[in-house]
Amino acid sequence: MSRRHIRNILVKEWVLLFTDLNSALIVTLVPLLIVGQGIVYIWLASNFAGESMLSTQVFQTALQKLVEAIPGVAQLPGEEQLLVLLLSQFNFFLLLIPTMIAISVATFSIVDEKLSGSLEALLATPVKTWELLLGKALAGAIPALVMTWISAGVFLLVVSWLGWGDLIGYVVTAGWFLTLFLLTPAVAILSFMLGVTGSSRAKDARGAQNTVLVIILPVLALIGMQITGIVWFTPSLILVVGLMVGIAAFITLRAAVRLFRRESIVVQWR
Amino acid sequence: MAIIETFGLSRHFGKTAAVEDLTLVVQAGEVLGFLGPNGAGKTTTIRMLAGMMAPTKGYAIVVGHRTDRDVEQLHEVVGMLTQTPGLYDRLSARRNLEYFAGFYPSIESHSQVEKYLKIMGLWERRDSKVGTFSKGMKQRLALARALVHEPQVLFLDEPTAGLDPEAAGEVRQLIRSLREEGRTVFLSTHNLTEAEMLCSRVAVIHTKLLALDTPEQLRRRFFRRQIIVQLEALDAKVMEAVKKLTFVQEVREEGSQLILGLTDLERNRPELVKAIVEAGGRVIGVSEKQYPLEDVYLRLIREENQNES
Repeated sequence: MSRRHIRNILVKEWVLLFTDLNSALIVTLVPLLIVGQGIVYIWLASNFAGESMLSTQVFQTALQKLVEAIPGVAQLPGEEQLLVLLLSQFNFFLLLIPTMIAISVATFSIVDEKLSGSLEALLATPVKTWELLLGKALAGAIPALVMTWISAGVFLLVVSWLGWGDLIGYVVTAGWFLTLFLLTPAVAILSFMLGVTGSSRAKDARGAQNTVLVIILPVLALIGMQITGIVWFTPSLILVVGLMVGIAAFITLRAAVRLFRRESIVVQWR
Repeated sequence: MAIIETFGLSRHFGKTAAVEDLTLVVQAGEVLGFLGPNGAGKTTTIRMLAGMMAPTKGYAIVVGHRTDRDVEQLHEVVGMLTQTPGLYDRLSARRNLEYFAGFYPSIESHSQVEKYLKIMGLWERRDSKVGTFSKGMKQRLALARALVHEPQVLFLDEPTAGLDPEAAGEVRQLIRSLREEGRTVFLSTHNLTEAEMLCSRVAVIHTKLLALDTPEQLRRRFFRRQIIVQLEALDAKVMEAVKKLTFVQEVREEGSQLILGLTDLERNRPELVKAIVEAGGRVIGVSEKQYPLEDVYLRLIREENQNES
């Protein structure tokens, strides 16, 4: 029954998502913009700031960590080592895609229904609160995840096209796959759970958006920590972080169900 | 068979009582009108009965389910039309219904959706976006949504509020057909004509239940039965003859009409007509005076306000 209910919510949400030009553009264009921006940044850094970056203590420490993690990198010239370092950040950079889409899409999910009055009718059906919240979160997280994976593919194609294809072997490691297929889904679900939870509690979408902002900061911190050499995310570390984020998503769902006040929604939103 | 039973059902918001000590029984197949002024507790009662709000005191049983405990089971067997249609404007009429029907495992949603779109006269517009619908069409679609899972009890909260007369008439016709099908309908309204037209019994609420009966019995409770004798012309001889009759309790002139209160109205009506004719009066018609339900309602509310003050 739960699967049927969640599938029902997914189908409806997707029809609404892709019949709204604004939302459809956010889901499709935001990932491409993030990929484009990342590649331009790496290209500019490697072409115009390579030497100065290599001479800084921060990048030297980061390169040292990179060589420890992937010893083969030591055989590459300095500029290519820097390029591998920058390209290796991209899997974390891709985490911004689900969080950005969550800010734009998930935060409206419940608020919109409150405003239109459809939520009261929905709450009169046998749908359970957790089915509703999870359905809404998955309805955004799944397209965001698919777009993130497509973006990763696009990124690798562009990297090859720019003549850096030889370096892909150093970038696409076990850690890359773990980030993409464990950490990214966990971050996507957590972002959307936070968005939906914020949406269920907030009086308007703006209030809900503030809730999702809290996840962008840790994602930026992950990128910052690795690029400055504070820590290098090995596969086992990514596994641990991924599991922690997954647990956080589950706890958020449980908390969201507890915080979801059917009665207040019915009384306050008329 | 009782299908809705409430036992001292109460709901407070802070210190304010929205519904106080409501005890009533609704039989299966009955259309109960739930009347009351704005803020009388009609919507709060419906929400408690539909399992969307918990009572602060007392309880209710609807289709055998405690409304504060067996909420999911309850939602399988009741339907609710909320004050606002609450539909998805960017979805088609069919998709809207399919979505809500999808939450009821016991029904075959495609055939049910088709059935109710046809009943509500929306089949031709099934693939149109709801945002293009008129208010009346949206209300009919919302009614279809409340019925799509064949609920045993239907709660309608002000179903014709804000509709133009034509659209309101269409919705009333649909409710009438539900009554003919033998469905149990709990109809909240402050349209008294509508209540009289559609309901077998009416409950008047003003936080507390003030009255619960058939419209006819409520009239009798507050107004003595009177008959109107329409005459060609009214003269003193007729008046004198009428006043002499021992079963006449009261008599009033209104133009060429006599309005009379009688003991044992059925038995004494022929005697009255005979006396008028024998006094030379030419009788055009005899009918019973009908007090509108509005008079009963206003009297109940006025009395309650006086009691409160």
